[in-house]
Amino acid sequence: MTSITGVLKQDAEKLKNLLPAEDILTFDFQNGEGLSFQCIFADAVTDKELLADEVLRPLQTYSGKPTTDEVKKAVISPEVRTEKNLQKLADEILAGNPVLLWDGADEGLIVGTKKVFVRSVTEPPTDVVIKGPREGFIEDVKINTSLVRRRFKTPDLKIEMIKIGRQSQTVVAMCYLEGTTVEQTIKDVRKKLKEIDIDYIPDSSYLTHFLSSRPYSLMKQVGATEKPDIFCAKIAEGRVGLLVDGSPIALTVPYLLVEDFQASEDYYVPEYRASFTRILRLFALIVAIYLPAFYISAQLFKLQLFPVRLLLTISGAIQDIPLSPSLEMLLVLLVLEVLNEASIRMPKYVGMALSVVGALVLGETAVSAGFVSTPAIIIIAFSGIGLYAVPNLIEQTSVLRLAMLFVAGSVGTYGIILLTAFVILYLVTTENYGAPLVAPFAPLVKRDLRDTFVKYNIGSLKTRPRTLGSKNKRRLKRHE
Amino acid sequence: MSKIAPRQLYFFFACIAPLGKLVLLPTQLAQYSANDLLFPAAINFLLQAGVIFLIMLLSRSNSTFFDLLVNTFGKITAKILICIFSLFLIFVSFLPILEQKLFIQSVFYDTLPSTVAFSTFFLFSAYICAKPAGVLGRTWDILAPLAIFGIVGILVFSVANADFAALAPVGVTGAKSIFQSTLYTVSWFYDSAMLLMLMGRFEYQKGMAWKSALFYLLGAAVILLYLAIFFGIYEGIAVRQIFSFAKIGKYNSGVPVLGRIDYLFIFSLTLGLSFYCTMPLHLGVTCLVQAFGGGKYRPALFSVGANLIIFILTILMTYHFATVNKTVNETLCYLFLVFCVLIPAFALLLRRKPREKV
Repeated sequence: MTSITGVLKQDAEKLKNLLPAEDILTFDFQNGEGLSFQCIFADAVTDKELLADEVLRPLQTYSGKPTTDEVKKAVISPEVRTEKNLQKLADEILAGNPVLLWDGADEGLIVGTKKVFVRSVTEPPTDVVIKGPREGFIEDVKINTSLVRRRFKTPDLKIEMIKIGRQSQTVVAMCYLEGTTVEQTIKDVRKKLKEIDIDYIPDSSYLTHFLSSRPYSLMKQVGATEKPDIFCAKIAEGRVGLLVDGSPIALTVPYLLVEDFQASEDYYVPEYRASFTRILRLFALIVAIYLPAFYISAQLFKLQLFPVRLLLTISGAIQDIPLSPSLEMLLVLLVLEVLNEASIRMPKYVGMALSVVGALVLGETAVSAGFVSTPAIIIIAFSGIGLYAVPNLIEQTSVLRLAMLFVAGSVGTYGIILLTAFVILYLVTTENYGAPLVAPFAPLVKRDLRDTFVKYNIGSLKTRPRTLGSKNKRRLKRHE
Repeated sequence: MSKIAPRQLYFFFACIAPLGKLVLLPTQLAQYSANDLLFPAAINFLLQAGVIFLIMLLSRSNSTFFDLLVNTFGKITAKILICIFSLFLIFVSFLPILEQKLFIQSVFYDTLPSTVAFSTFFLFSAYICAKPAGVLGRTWDILAPLAIFGIVGILVFSVANADFAALAPVGVTGAKSIFQSTLYTVSWFYDSAMLLMLMGRFEYQKGMAWKSALFYLLGAAVILLYLAIFFGIYEGIAVRQIFSFAKIGKYNSGVPVLGRIDYLFIFSLTLGLSFYCTMPLHLGVTCLVQAFGGGKYRPALFSVGANLIIFILTILMTYHFATVNKTVNETLCYLFLVFCVLIPAFALLLRRKPREKV
């Protein structure tokens, strides 16, 4: 690694050789006493106005000694650092922080005048609430960390900045509460982050693969949220939070499956309402996964599963359908998935046309033409809506629903039961950072059940989840 | 995950172990002792509870059964003995799996399904058998509420139709018949043999011995209640009512209105049964791993081997269930007495500490 020599011309040339790009600009100037300075910066990512106001103008009138300390004092920016290593200086320039060199300087001066293009802090579209905070994370890690820091006015909140990505040098802020989060978890997360050797991290979802104990698992093992209040609540429970520059989705570990049934609003409404909606979510999810499968297996293997009157209605509806029940259901499911995918990505101005095509052509016309039956459309429609009761698990549950459909069509009800057994076995054997995925149900942790499907009053949630193994167990003191 | 928590073991005794006694046992008890069917069942349950109590006393050393055998007989003999136990457990699993196959075919299909339908069970079984025995504890945590839901649902749906007077007069079949019935149904009570293999996989805590026996008896009480309802509903035709728990709820007055919602209970009980049926095989594989060592692939190899044997036997014996059932119940019942009662009881005499090397 090359260091600064103190010869301006030589150092500036070496630095520019490290950054042979057209958007790397230099600005040469002299102060009143004839001392030569050179400012090297990346165009577009540097705030030139700020650079001129805080650095260049004060230095042009500067008449002190050319030592680092004196120059540092002359610059009026609050974010000034020094660095000897030329490679590190080059990295800073690419990050948007200009570097100042001058004759006789044994260190380069890094000035924090990065130009940040950010959208404002708004309510995340994936987690809209009626009651509770409406702030959502944005793509800038600094603003995101400030949203976290604003909620924890304690020195116990540690934010470690780790750079990941050989070329992207993406900043990942690792947040945790010292004394609350298990030391081993912090070490493990830090180790896993530092072991990542990838060229580019475009989004936090890239990290989930590296943070999971079973990277190819169907089930997710890293929690995700867009809301700072939820993120901070999870950190307060003893989790490690990760904010990735360029991503509004924050990650948390260890992750428990039950987390995705806990919506942020549950904590801001009365507990009986929260419990009701959580049970409803569970019910909707179970029905969404199992209903199409049971419908097929009942039709193919055991008609007794239908009540008699319903059976008569169904048999009337399906008598002229040319497709087998499983093929019919798969077809309708496929259409739903295609509609779903298209509606997310299509331009808004064709939305209306697509709705008409989806609802009228594919729905009503297909039924009246006798391609598909009405019960199949009703079941898939309910299933489609039901899955979105727990939107954070949509990737997993839609695959599970498809798998259930396949076994129902080939093996029947017993296949559904066996696949459920497989899933149970798989879930109970999955652990991440020492926390079992399906805790507090398996292993059963009685006290932690207070914030699962039945939510207790906040006064009853006196301790942090035992599953996370926090040393600092008590959350609420002397509550009458 | 390596250790089973005491609570998980209690869940097993109270909620999972009784499931294996729901499928064919009621019919067989009715066949051997008619309206006195509760007595042989109660005797077998009490016998098992007693043996479980003794095994739990033995497990205070927190050693595995294999360790105790090594301490007493040395490594070679211990390996031979544990292999014999493994063969017994793999053999034990055969009848319940065959029973489950017939149950599945009869309850979940209108017409006889292809062999493939039940073969999938062996995929699941091979998967679970390759896992360490400590995994079982967590599955019991999930299955216990499902089993409670299933059994309570079935009981609630059926109790109103039962005529308990059918159980009277008590003791009319005579002591000999009850004794014979007890002996002929002992093959359905192998929980003690499985517990012996679970020794050392849970940390013994004070009072666990009597609590385990008590929880086992709690599960037994539920089964006895079911048996009473079963005979109270079917009376004279009870001997022909195989897989009764899948149909006993359908006589409820709510079923014509709501449809066969009793299937929800049947599904949850079948889910529990699927796990319970794999247990002897699982523990048989665990014995083999103890005898021949584990490693990365050996448990999977043993698991596939054991499951393949039972799979082939199941296919070959599908149409000979009655013969297999009769042979196991009436001829091989003494084998069950030896492995499930005598050996676990006499295991108390095994050395708990290793011999000192001279």
